Amino acid sequence: MKAVIRGIGVVGGFGTGISTLEKILMDHGPFIESFAVPDGQPLGGEPYAPVDTRNLKERFSPRSLRRMDHLSRTALLAAALALEDAADPGGNADTGVAVASGYGAVRTTFAFLDTILEAGDAGASPTLFSNSVLNAPAAHISMHLGARGPNLTVSRFEMSFSDALSIAVQWLEEGRAPSVLVGGVDEWCPVLGHCHHRFSKTRDAAAFLSPFCTGLERARIAEGAVFFLLSPEMEPASGYGVVESVESGRLPRDTPTFPKDAVILTGIDSHRDSARPRLPGDHRVVDYTGYYGTLPVGMGFDMAIASVIVRRGRLFSVPDSTGGETVVDGFQTEKAPKIRRACCLNITPSGAYGLITLASRPDFSENSRPQGLMKS
Amino acid sequence: MKAPAPVAVTGMGCICAAGKDFPTCVQTLFSKDPDPKPPSRFTARHPETHPVFEIEASILTHLHSREDLSITAALGVAAARQALEDAGWDPEALSRVRTGVCMGTTVGSTMNDEAFYRTYRSGTLPDLFPVRRFLSSNPAEAVARTFDLSGPCLTLSNACCSGADAIGTAMSWIRGGICDVAIAGGADELSRVTYNGFIALMITDTRPCRPFDRDRNGLNLGEGAAVMILEPETSRRVRKRAPRAFVLGYGSAADGYHLTAPDPDGAGLRRAAGHTLSADGKTLSRIAFVAAHGTGTKDNDAVEARVLDALLPGIPFFSTKGHTGHTLGAAGAIQAVLAAACLNRGTIPGSAGFFTPDPQLPAHPTRHPQKIRGDLALSESLGFGGANAVLLLKRGGDSS
Repeated sequence: MKAVIRGIGVVGGFGTGISTLEKILMDHGPFIESFAVPDGQPLGGEPYAPVDTRNLKERFSPRSLRRMDHLSRTALLAAALALEDAADPGGNADTGVAVASGYGAVRTTFAFLDTILEAGDAGASPTLFSNSVLNAPAAHISMHLGARGPNLTVSRFEMSFSDALSIAVQWLEEGRAPSVLVGGVDEWCPVLGHCHHRFSKTRDAAAFLSPFCTGLERARIAEGAVFFLLSPEMEPASGYGVVESVESGRLPRDTPTFPKDAVILTGIDSHRDSARPRLPGDHRVVDYTGYYGTLPVGMGFDMAIASVIVRRGRLFSVPDSTGGETVVDGFQTEKAPKIRRACCLNITPSGAYGLITLASRPDFSENSRPQGLMKS
Repeated sequence: MKAPAPVAVTGMGCICAAGKDFPTCVQTLFSKDPDPKPPSRFTARHPETHPVFEIEASILTHLHSREDLSITAALGVAAARQALEDAGWDPEALSRVRTGVCMGTTVGSTMNDEAFYRTYRSGTLPDLFPVRRFLSSNPAEAVARTFDLSGPCLTLSNACCSGADAIGTAMSWIRGGICDVAIAGGADELSRVTYNGFIALMITDTRPCRPFDRDRNGLNLGEGAAVMILEPETSRRVRKRAPRAFVLGYGSAADGYHLTAPDPDGAGLRRAAGHTLSADGKTLSRIAFVAAHGTGTKDNDAVEARVLDALLPGIPFFSTKGHTGHTLGAAGAIQAVLAAACLNRGTIPGSAGFFTPDPQLPAHPTRHPQKIRGDLALSESLGFGGANAVLLLKRGGDSS
C-alpha cells in the first residue's frame, strides 16, 4: 500500500508554510539567510537561520504554550500547518504521530545544564528537564492537536527523517492509524554552532551552499520543522502525491534503486564531509538545500519540495550561489516533460542511506489541492 | 479474523544491576533481595541520597572497553551479542541475511556531556572527543556497525517506552518482510544529568523503590540493556532453533494529556492494550500475567492498577523495578525478556518492594512468587509525554 501526502507544514529560516516555500521555488529564490550568533556566546560559532514561531499564538492559547520550548513550538507549528494544509484542522483522535530529530531539544538540554552549573545539583530545573526529553515535541503535538494514536520519536542524526517516514508508512499498512502526522524537527543552539565551526576548519567564507563542489565547507546552518499528513492511498480525494517507497541500506553493500523516470533530490548540504553518491548518469539530479539550509532533518524539506514537484509535474531551477546563472543539471524546466516521480536521497559519510520515492497521482492536479486555512 | 503470524524470539540477552547476563538476571528476580545504593560513578549534592541500581563495576569495565563508544552503546552491543549467541547466529551468517536493528534509548540520544559543556561555558576551547563519541554512539548504529549489518536501522527515543516500542516495531518489520532477522531492544546508562533531572521532578525515592505499595514514594533509577532476536516462525523452523518466546502483538497510543503526568483514567494505556489484545480474539482467557511498568511513583502505579483492574480483573501482575531499577529506554526491553522467562518457567516473581497494599488501588501486585496458568503475557510500558506501549508475548514451544 502507498501513502498519500494530504497536507504539508513547513517552518524554516525561509519563512512559514508550504505556500511560502512554493513561492521560493517558483521565484528561484532567495537563498536562506543566516545571521550572526546572538551576543554573549562565549566561543562564537557559525551563523544560522532562525525560525519564527510567533504565529502559534493565533492557534493555541498562550497558557498552553507557556512552558513549551523552542523545539516543540517549531514542531507543533509545522504539524498544525500540515493539518490546515490538508483542510483537516481538527485531525483525528486516532491519528499517529512519528517525529524525527537529529539532536532533539539541544537549547533546553544546555539550559538545563546551566541550572545545575549555576544553582547546584539541587537547583536543577524540573521544567527544563521534562522539555529536554527527546519525545517532548511528539507529546506536545499529541496534546495540542488531539492526535492520540501511536506516538514515536526517532533519532539517528541525518537518517532520522526517513526512519520516521518508514514507521509512518508501516503504521498505515498495518492499520494502526487512519492517518499519520510524520515529520522532523531540529533547532540551532550556540553549542552546535561552536561544534560545527570546530569540525569545519576549511570553511569557504566567500561562497556557500554549492552542493556539488566537494572538499569545501559551505553549509549554512539552519533550524526548522517539516510535517506531512499521510493517509492510506484509497481515501483522500486530494493531495500532493503518494509515497511509493522508503528504502534504507548501507553502501557499498546495498544499492539504492532509482525508478527510471525519477528526478533525484540529493540533499547534499554542502558539508565538507557530505557523501557524494555515485548517481546514475541518466537521471536528473537537483539540490535545493540552498532554500532551506543545513539541518539533520533536511531530507524532510526535500520531501516537501519533491511533493510540490510531483504535484506540479515540473522541476524548479536553482540559482547558482555566485550569481543568477540557472543550473539544474543543464535542464530547462519549462520545456521538460512532466515529472512523475521524485526520489529524495540522503547518504551519511559512513555509507548509511535513505531513499524516499514519491509519485504523482493523475487525479491530484494543481487545482485539486486542498485549500486549507493556509495561515502563514 | 485470522491472527497475524507469530514472530519467534530465538535469542535473548540482558545486562543490568540484576546480573551480567540473561540467566543471572532471571535468577536474581526469583532469589535475591534488591540492594540499590548511592551512585558510585558520579557524585551529586542533594539533601538526601537517592539510591540507584548500578551495574557492577567489574562487569561494566569488561563490557565498556572502547573509549569511543558510550556506556549506553556498549551495553546495547553486549546485550545484542548475548542474544545472538543464544539464537545461534554467528556474525558471518548474520551478515549474509538482511538483519534489522531497532534499539530504544533516552540517555543514548541526548547530547549533554557535562564536562564538555562546563569547559565551553568557561570560554576555553573544549576537547571535542565527547562530541565525537556521542556521534559514534547512536545505539542502533553501534550495533549495526559492530556486526556489519545492512538492514533497516532505527533508534527510538520514546522516553520509558522506548525498549518496548523497539521490540514492537521490529515485530512489524518481520511480519512485513522488511528484514529476515531483527535485533531489537533497549539500552541506557546511569547519568548524573538524568539523576539530577529525576530528583528535580521529585519522583525518586530515597529508599529502595516500593512499586504499588501504600507507602511508595518514587522510583530508583537503573541502567542496563536487553535484546531479543526476532525471526519469522518459518525461518526458525528451518534453522531448527528452539523458540525462546513469541511476540504476538504490540500496541502504542498517546495520552495527549500532560508532559509528565499520565492520564488519570489511563486512556492511552487502555487503547494501547486494546490494540495489542485485538491482535488475537482469544487472547484474554490465555493471559497468565502482566509485567507492569510499576515504577513506584504515585501516579504511574495508580493509573496502571486502575487499568489492569478494569481490563484484566484477577490476572496477576508484578513489577520488576524493585530488582532492576528504572532503566528508562531499556526498561521496556528488560521487562519483556524477563516476562518471557517467567512464561517459560511457569512462575512469576514477587514484586520486590511491595509490602503493604494501597487501599486506594483496586488491584495489587504479587508479593511472593506464584505459579501461573496460561501461555500469554502482557508487558506494559508508560513514559514521559503520555507514551504507552504494550507487548503481547507467548511462551516458547508451540507457536499456535
